Amino acid sequence: MESLKSNQKNKIKARFRSKRKYNDWMWAYIMIAPLMVGIMYFYFIAFFQNFFFSFTDLNAFGKWSFIGIANYVKILKDPTVWQAFKNTAFFTIVSVPISICLALFVANLLNSKIKGRVIYRTLFFLPVVTMPAAVAMIWRWLFSGDFGIINYFLKMISIEGPSWLNDPKYAIFTVIIVAIWSSVGYNMVLFLAGLQGISPTYYEAATIDGANSFTIFFKITLPLLTPTIFFVLIISLISTFQVFDLILMMITDTSVALEQTQSIVYLFYKNAFVYGDRGYATAISIILFFVILIVTIAQIKYHSKWVTYDV
Amino acid sequence: MKKSLLKISVLVVSVLMILTFSLAAATTAAEKKVTLTYSIWDSKQLPSMETIANNFTELYPNITIKVELTPWAQYWMKLDTSITAGGGPDVFWMNVFMPKYASNGVILPIDDKIEADNIDLGNYPEALVELYNYDGKQYALPKDFDTIGLWYNKMLFDAAGIKYPDETWDWNTVTDAAKKLTDTSKGIYGIAARRTGQEGYYNTIAQAGGFVLSPDKKTSGYDKPETIAGLKFWIDLIEAGVSPTIQQMTDTSPVSLFESGKVAMLYDGSWMAIEYGKTNEYTKDKVDVAVLPKGVKQAVIIHGLGYCINAKTKNPEEAWLFVQYLGGKEAAVVQAETGTVIPAFKGTQELWVESMPSLNLKVFIDMLSYSVPLAGSINTPKWWDVETKYFTQAWTGKISIEDAAKQVATEMNALLSAE
Amino acid sequence: MKNKNSFFSGKFIIYLILSLGAIIMVIPFIWMILTSIKTFGETTQMPPIIFPHIPQWKNYSEVLRLFPFGSFYLNTVISTVCKVFGQLVFCSTAAYAFARIEFPAKNIIFLALLSILMVPSQVFLIPQYRIIQQLNLLNTLPALILPGLFSAFGTFLLRQFFMTIPKELEEAALLDGCNHFQIYYKIMLPLIKPGLIALGILTALWSWNDLLWPLIINSSPDKLTLSAGLAFMQGQYTTNYALLMAGSILAIWPMILLFIVLQNYFIEGIALTGTKA
Repeated sequence: MESLKSNQKNKIKARFRSKRKYNDWMWAYIMIAPLMVGIMYFYFIAFFQNFFFSFTDLNAFGKWSFIGIANYVKILKDPTVWQAFKNTAFFTIVSVPISICLALFVANLLNSKIKGRVIYRTLFFLPVVTMPAAVAMIWRWLFSGDFGIINYFLKMISIEGPSWLNDPKYAIFTVIIVAIWSSVGYNMVLFLAGLQGISPTYYEAATIDGANSFTIFFKITLPLLTPTIFFVLIISLISTFQVFDLILMMITDTSVALEQTQSIVYLFYKNAFVYGDRGYATAISIILFFVILIVTIAQIKYHSKWVTYDV
Repeated sequence: MKKSLLKISVLVVSVLMILTFSLAAATTAAEKKVTLTYSIWDSKQLPSMETIANNFTELYPNITIKVELTPWAQYWMKLDTSITAGGGPDVFWMNVFMPKYASNGVILPIDDKIEADNIDLGNYPEALVELYNYDGKQYALPKDFDTIGLWYNKMLFDAAGIKYPDETWDWNTVTDAAKKLTDTSKGIYGIAARRTGQEGYYNTIAQAGGFVLSPDKKTSGYDKPETIAGLKFWIDLIEAGVSPTIQQMTDTSPVSLFESGKVAMLYDGSWMAIEYGKTNEYTKDKVDVAVLPKGVKQAVIIHGLGYCINAKTKNPEEAWLFVQYLGGKEAAVVQAETGTVIPAFKGTQELWVESMPSLNLKVFIDMLSYSVPLAGSINTPKWWDVETKYFTQAWTGKISIEDAAKQVATEMNALLSAE
Repeated sequence: MKNKNSFFSGKFIIYLILSLGAIIMVIPFIWMILTSIKTFGETTQMPPIIFPHIPQWKNYSEVLRLFPFGSFYLNTVISTVCKVFGQLVFCSTAAYAFARIEFPAKNIIFLALLSILMVPSQVFLIPQYRIIQQLNLLNTLPALILPGLFSAFGTFLLRQFFMTIPKELEEAALLDGCNHFQIYYKIMLPLIKPGLIALGILTALWSWNDLLWPLIINSSPDKLTLSAGLAFMQGQYTTNYALLMAGSILAIWPMILLFIVLQNYFIEGIALTGTKA
């Protein structure tokens, strides 16, 4: 008697669950529909066209003929592409961790009851709103070999500073420094938002237990912030791999240092819009895409090892 | 009673409507209302272009012109994008990149129109007309031109006791003067050996009897000894220590060096007249300009903009009427009055010359008789980059200019044969 | 009790670090302001001069005279507000689904969405131009807005925030008979306010500063945005930096104001140093 009742109950529960499952699915598709329709119309079609054109010799005005993998073979043999990949990888590996750590540090400080935090936050955010032309202008002056402040200070400690923007060995560091400088404020905003999600009760409990600020930061704040850090890491890597505007502004296109500094997207831009070799440029962008995709998938795969959503 | 009133009113209204529509149809058949889009990139010239457009509409009331302004940095990207999408402006500015557009058939050849309307191409500098000729066909009417002059700092000349440059000067004279003007203790150099083509070595290449691109646009001139001689002129100046090094000039542009009195002579374009003569605090009362010193012969690079018609325009007749007007004398006079550009039409350059009496701007016009068009082919941006790659190394002394030039010739020929 | 007056106390060091950092952050902005009141000639001098001889405040009125700033402001504000609103709505509903509901092909769709971020944005330039042209919307205000209503970045960001909400809240609501939309709207959305604000700030800023798309898609000055309009100051051979900086300051102060206002919603947690207030 009882087993029958529980059986029936289970069946009802199961039907409820599966009804709920299909209900869930319906809601899910409805809720992602507006976004996905827009993305498909404005982005996906273009994305697949892009992939297709990498197998053609598409020119500046839309003329193309199929050439198979010729573009990709050319890329493999092209030393400028390899160098650009090296430049981009180096740039990313150096600037992303530094920027994230600095932003994390600053966001934490500015999330506490410090006097003038509104002013500080705004000041740290200013690089993000400063006009790119102004950013380039002042940093190019700071780094100027003859007139720059940086070399001036280096002279005071008797170091002969190089011509930063024109020395192939050092030019990439100018771009790295400016990239970190302009992204700290941006990442800070994201971390500040993430910090809001941490309930003050955690902090209260910890302080009552007598924990000092270091322990609080490492044992409470950091773990609870991992979803935001995960996001910032992925977004930073994706966008830093695509650095372009910064290089365009900081390094003149006739500079000796260009080859050791130009990024993959810079090459893409040059081939697509200056040379008119759209097919080749597209192939370059596809290779970049796969590199970024692999890096991103790898991060997603391992994120459960260090990201905690529910504490 | 009411019914017949209704019938009459309907009749009256229909008659009126038929009359109005047929009247309208009659007018439209006679004069189609057309709007042309006209694309430019210089915001300083927007007022003069709009004046010209308005003057044109007074002549042809059924054609309105919409002037579209795109900044230089985005102009070509936008032009190519809109043309690729099947649209694009009806009339637009063109420059040395013309071969790319002509070879792809996106701009209209206008030879038949020039003949039909009896346009006298002799009204423009010959080299300019040549600039817009590709594969035997004419693709644009010239708009304006610029040439290169020898800008010099009178104050530094006076201090060194040297006579100002004039038309007797040649390579030896300018080299001597540069040596006398250089004072390394003060960080002052006689001349800036720029590593740029149009303002720099293209001129000396022509003066040495060489060439950058063959007239049929199929071969590079960089492996010819005369061309190399034209390049070597600048290398010699650097080696003689009378010019800043290329590292110095990339750190601080030659223009900035000139404008702060660190360089006494500079080859630069006529487009810098307003900057040097009016805007810059330092130069405006200290500089003047002379014709370029001659090498084996006199030569100067000329470049200028042209007016093109979109091959896919829906109104080719009206577009041609507008281009014809743009290339004519009235439009040239409007341009001259702004003092910002030198119009191409013969006899209209006086206003520009007189716009800055303190400068000897006449030299830019005097040089027309021996001007050589700026070289361009379909792959121009690609071989410009090749030039940059190798000549930068030659300028730093890493490789000899002969080797650099031969390398450039090889790669440039490969690019030209791929066209 | 900690001696708050100790010279090298933790608080002092923190203020020192923050101040040094803030100075480095703000120097280019100050340079912008100084350049905006110089004469054109002063901006091109080498070595660069720091202070103008006579402050040229008329640069600001000159910029306003040269360009239809009224139209620029209007277009920029309208298109930014629309884009922010559009993204907040579209991205949050989608983010909720990605974060809280299990459904077939979820991960693949999400990955496909992220893929859009992994190609250079110029890839979309010509296709989107064509779409706008086909819709007959070239040189209009909607053209500025449309593609920017949909964002993979925004969806990803809000998804992360949604995922931090405990499951219990959801289960309770489901038991009460709420459907997903109600849960999203009444319960979850208010809880991720900081995420919404962050997205709002960053989207507003991106839209405000975007110059390539407006320039490519619109041609008349009265259909352009602030950043696009300012690009006209950069000529082929010379750029009037003084006017450019003046124009940029005129263009950017609303964003600074917006940031100051919005980040007041970022309430601080407990003080990390010293005792609890």
